[in-house]
Amino acid sequence: MDKALQSGRLHYMDHLRALAMLAGVLFHAALAYSPLMQPFFPTADRQSSPLVDVFVWLPHLLRMPLFFTVSGFFAAWIIAHRGPTGLLRQRIRRIALPFIVAWPLVFLAMSAATTWAANHVQHPSPLLRLIHDWQANPDAPSLPPTTAHLWFLYYLLLFGILHWIARTLDFAAPGRWLLRHSPGLLLLGLPLLLTLALASVSAPHPAPEGLLPQFWAILFYGAFFAFGALLYGQPEWLERAKKLLWPLLAACALCYPLFLWQLSMETPSIAAPTASWLVALLEGCLAVWLTVASLLLGRRLLDRPSPIMRYLAQSAYWTYLLHLPLLLLVQYHLMDLSMAWEWKFLLATSVTIAVCLLSYQLLVRHTPLRRFVG
Amino acid sequence: MTNNASIIRLLVAKDWQLFQKQLALYVLAGIVALCLLALAKPWAFYLGSLMLIVVVVAAACFSISASLMVERKEHTLAFVMSLPVSPWDFTIAKLLGNLVTFGVPFLVLCLGTLGTVLFTPLPDGLFVYALLIFGYVLFAYSVALSIAMTVESEGWNTFAMIGSMVLINPFIMGLAQIDAISSQIEQDAIVWSTPAVAILLTQVILSVAVLGFTVWHHARKPAFY
Repeated sequence: MDKALQSGRLHYMDHLRALAMLAGVLFHAALAYSPLMQPFFPTADRQSSPLVDVFVWLPHLLRMPLFFTVSGFFAAWIIAHRGPTGLLRQRIRRIALPFIVAWPLVFLAMSAATTWAANHVQHPSPLLRLIHDWQANPDAPSLPPTTAHLWFLYYLLLFGILHWIARTLDFAAPGRWLLRHSPGLLLLGLPLLLTLALASVSAPHPAPEGLLPQFWAILFYGAFFAFGALLYGQPEWLERAKKLLWPLLAACALCYPLFLWQLSMETPSIAAPTASWLVALLEGCLAVWLTVASLLLGRRLLDRPSPIMRYLAQSAYWTYLLHLPLLLLVQYHLMDLSMAWEWKFLLATSVTIAVCLLSYQLLVRHTPLRRFVG
Repeated sequence: MTNNASIIRLLVAKDWQLFQKQLALYVLAGIVALCLLALAKPWAFYLGSLMLIVVVVAAACFSISASLMVERKEHTLAFVMSLPVSPWDFTIAKLLGNLVTFGVPFLVLCLGTLGTVLFTPLPDGLFVYALLIFGYVLFAYSVALSIAMTVESEGWNTFAMIGSMVLINPFIMGLAQIDAISSQIEQDAIVWSTPAVAILLTQVILSVAVLGFTVWHHARKPAFY
């Protein structure tokens, strides 16, 4: 890693970030066919399959923790190379401005698509039916706006402030101490800490889309951001953790079925809106172990230049910003078709990714927008 | 009147460097307060809003007392006089340094609070009420800062600082007595009543006027004392 750091490019970190963001597109597309998400997701289709629930929650527990780990790593990298002012400028240009511009557009596009669907889709999901009834009631209060899938930008900004606070008050000392010791210490300790956060929300953990910072999300995602930032200062930690790759994968293979089994017993409800301690612990273990295993696998398999991965890495940010309104629009149109769910999933993801990549090529790649979202 | 911009920048940066630990703590406390508000429970709302007011008032008092009163007590001015710096540069640097050290937590917390009111189930009518409270803190801070920059006496400075900030309580009570403002607090709409606009404008104009007068007063001084 040291050589890679000196050369200024960490291919596997770039590629992992791109894969984590692209996994988000697949994840959101798959939710429409998840039996567990039928009551909660606006594009929930008539056709669903338990298979989706078997496969979808694993990337859910991995992709954003991995993304925040990589983000923390790069935040520390920018501070080391360009100083705190450089980080501030980069955060304003790459996060604050895109968030301020994209958020109202995304929110309006998603609201318009959902309003259209509530009035036109013949086979609406339970949530669409609820929205339809809500709209029919003139006395119903308006729902507060959310950050939608752009919550990650909001939290990156928040973690930028918390990162400054942690550096100023030297809160990183315990973390540095932890990383100096055996990797097992962190791999066993961090899930316990995350259990506290995950037990305060439903399982699988929701997206913190509200406009106010939430304790659980700060603790959960902030821990991964901090881990990434600390990892930059102690890159040898990954070298020491290398030998744990297979045990970690084996532990995940044991924990995940247990998590699914527990999840099937504890469907979230108004009476029990939070996860049990066991489910929260399993979520914490899976999130930490999968993230570390991905870093180790990425370091082993993805740490080399690849034109395709480079292109995906460069287009991932734009793709992620754009994908959800597009995906909703496509899936709303698919809801009335009597196609097999597999085909609907394939069609929705292909169209969404194709439009995102095409628009990236035409609107971003060779224009000044590249500096902001490219 | 010309400014020595690089020296002013250095003096402001010096204030920022010296006080950023405490400011970081204030911002952290502010984020905790906003998280408490996000819990959407009555006890968390009261604790969070009380914590916000305490943090803003503490940040205002800290900024003035650390950068002006303590420096004066420790005779830092004698050292500053040895630098290639004019009284005007020093005044502008102190004013800017204070506005930055107070302004950062103030803006974060003010915007956070207003966002909380607008984008949560809390009634939007609280928006004007919250803005008037923040407006009062800004005005009280401007008065205390101006007095600290102008008057040497530590006693008067402490009196002005604590007095102006403590008056936030009667101010909040007073707002509650104005029917045009208090009747809107629980409504789910932002209503700019005439008294609310008048109070807000008065706060902003007086804050700018007090700071402007202080700068004008110092601009006429040929020497540091």
